[in-house]
Amino acid sequence: MQLNRRLFTTLAAGALAAGLAGPAAAADLAAIESAGTVKVGMLVDFPPFGIMDSAGQPDGYDADVAKALAEYLGVQPQIVPVTGPNRIPYLLSGQVDVLVASLGITEERAARVDFSDPYAGISIAVYGDAGLEIAGPEALSGQTVAVARASTQDTAVTEVAPADAQIRRFDDDASAVQALMSGQVRLIGASNVVMAQIGAAVGDRFDKKFDLSSQVQGIAVAPGSDALLEKVNAFVAEARGDGTLDEIHQKWLGEPLPDFVKNAE
Amino acid sequence: MYQFNFQPVIQNLDLLLFGAWLTVRLSLMAMLFGLVVSVLGAVAKTSGIRPLRWLVDAYVEVIRNTPFLVQIFFIFFGLPAVGISMSPNTAALVALVVNVGAYGTEIIRAGIESIPRGQIEAGRALGLNPVQIFRYVVVKPALRNIYPSLTSQFIYLMLTSSVVSVISANDLASAGADLNARTFASFEIYLVLTVLYFLLALGFSTLFAAIRRVFFTYPAGR
Repeated sequence: MQLNRRLFTTLAAGALAAGLAGPAAAADLAAIESAGTVKVGMLVDFPPFGIMDSAGQPDGYDADVAKALAEYLGVQPQIVPVTGPNRIPYLLSGQVDVLVASLGITEERAARVDFSDPYAGISIAVYGDAGLEIAGPEALSGQTVAVARASTQDTAVTEVAPADAQIRRFDDDASAVQALMSGQVRLIGASNVVMAQIGAAVGDRFDKKFDLSSQVQGIAVAPGSDALLEKVNAFVAEARGDGTLDEIHQKWLGEPLPDFVKNAE
Repeated sequence: MYQFNFQPVIQNLDLLLFGAWLTVRLSLMAMLFGLVVSVLGAVAKTSGIRPLRWLVDAYVEVIRNTPFLVQIFFIFFGLPAVGISMSPNTAALVALVVNVGAYGTEIIRAGIESIPRGQIEAGRALGLNPVQIFRYVVVKPALRNIYPSLTSQFIYLMLTSSVVSVISANDLASAGADLNARTFASFEIYLVLTVLYFLLALGFSTLFAAIRRVFFTYPAGR
């Protein structure tokens, strides 16, 4: 009896959840074209990819890509601010047509949304004083590297560094960067995003020593929006080819679109 | 119900104990140097030499009216700009000494001022020289008068030293944070950290009580 009731509750909850989740709303390319606007979801709290400018308008790498995409589709962009946790629900419920929201391409996400070819990427690497010769992880022997505690780069540096390398763990990227800029350490494990901001501040005092890992990001559409996805892919291919993405990447991250994004499948 | 798992803590207990050892060394050294700075500061403040007093006043006010976190960031991240670069552990020690020195100066100054002039005159009448008067008639009774506030400031210093993990020093709190980042057993790790800090504080209290019994229980019966 007890078991039956519990079973019933579980089934009811399951049915309710399924009902709430609903079928994914596929975006219709023809509908977008006839409406004349494409609704683009993007993050506004993820500099330099998505930010709010001083006028309160969405700006950043993703915003520029969204505008270029809309132009390619021949429609007006309507940017809808989304947040990290709710961006996929926004897409699946049809409140936005596409996500240009720095969505990293992962297997779990690919099961729920359809990704375009990569349009951006975040890589983590070891950076350091331009004068310092560090060819690979072995060269870290006897060196001191700053990282943000428990970050991806902490894990990666800890894994590849020889035993006699000193890893200084700071509470966040900002402190690790401080340690690098003030000369307390000569090497840092950081993302290209963080380093782009440093580059903007101090020029070419630091350069990349070697890569640790990378993650590419795709434009996402709801499953079943095949015509739209095809068009988005054509846009990404063209924008990669004609230098549009290089230009936008240069503007926001201080370097052309990295090769690991261009070469990624 | 949360499943306790002390395995990560037990396996890495050596890391935590090593961190605790650094916290003990850091605190002891900061107390020692801090006491020297405090006595010198208090003497300068009560000396009547005006520029010296102003200098110490400025030091005490700046340190007592700014957060320790800002002070340690300034020493570790700021000073390299003028060519003074220290390792994280040295910077932590310097920051703690500078910090406790300011509070200690005020505490010891209060102690010195609590000595009645008559007592110093009595010392003179006994034929003690100025150094002897300062040592036996002023500083020692002064320290006895403010001993409880000074030692509680020292224990507070030991607890404050947990902040030094922000500049990547390897103290107990830092060891705990590293372990937490690797194992995510936050509850267990911080529970053990709490116990360790409590034991350290208890240890220091016992040490201070012993010092008090040896040096400050005169005349007999006090």
